[in-house]
Amino acid sequence: MDSKPSAEQQARPVRQRPPTPVKIVIAGGFGVGKTTAVGAISEIQPLRTEALMTSAGAEIDRTGHVPSKTTTTVALDFGCLTIDDDVKLYLFGTPGQDRFGFMWHDIVHGALGALVIVDTRRMDDCYPAVDYFEKAGMPFVVGVNLFDGVLAHDLDDIRWALAVNDTVPVVTLDARDKLSVRDALLAVLHHTVRRVRTQQTSNAT
Amino acid sequence: MPEQDPDVSLLRPYLLTSGRAQPIDHTLEIETQVVTSDRGAASRGSLTFERRDIVELCRTTMSVAEVAARLGLHIGVTRVLVADLAALGHVIVCRPAAALNQDLGMIERVIRGLEAIR
Repeated sequence: MDSKPSAEQQARPVRQRPPTPVKIVIAGGFGVGKTTAVGAISEIQPLRTEALMTSAGAEIDRTGHVPSKTTTTVALDFGCLTIDDDVKLYLFGTPGQDRFGFMWHDIVHGALGALVIVDTRRMDDCYPAVDYFEKAGMPFVVGVNLFDGVLAHDLDDIRWALAVNDTVPVVTLDARDKLSVRDALLAVLHHTVRRVRTQQTSNAT
Repeated sequence: MPEQDPDVSLLRPYLLTSGRAQPIDHTLEIETQVVTSDRGAASRGSLTFERRDIVELCRTTMSVAEVAARLGLHIGVTRVLVADLAALGHVIVCRPAAALNQDLGMIERVIRGLEAIR
């Protein structure tokens, strides 16, 4: 259902009203196809910016010394899509490296959901992302990128290997293909809708 | 040992923000929309460097992330600068409404928008 624009909104010229931004996060290991997926569907050429990430030095911690902080610069690729006159969808491709919780919160906060892209040849790479979204309570879908159009493993095997909950959808996608990326994003949003409905039902009882 | 102390180059981005890593409003989302206000456009001449660049750039509405990418700034630095400019009234920020990810009407609207893509 569409919400009717308020009188205040109607009074203001359309062109000056900034759109409401919403976002979906695209996560996964290095070289897994995040930027390709963003580029396949974005209206703009994907942009890259850099973020400083701070993480505790776990190695030093173990020896009993004061944990040192390490700071790393990571690239953040993103694109956007116009949903309608008032809504703009941003897609943020986030680096999947471990131990960057600090910055992840900033990127992920308020997202409608997340797509974790998996390369079946390097499944470990997506564990940090899966862990993070599970802990953060963020609805996410696992998208297995078909690099050569062939699914090398059964989806159930992949689900088992990732040890994700049965409620987490596992889909395939071709990160180069616009409609395939669109369908994976739709899977994310439908999953979010189910999650919200379930929460609302359990809150009501 | 590398010739240059890595800490030095990591500090440099934050010289732009006088050493503050947290924006005044540290919750400013990276997708927040930024647009230059009339006041910002009028006082462009009194602003320096990156602040002026942001006010120039945001004559067209764009996100904090786009500002960072187009000006080649770190995203953390950009959040600080945009929050400063917003506090001074030089830019207007339009942030996503709270808990949009719980708003079924909004999510269904995005679903319809995506379904329209061919």
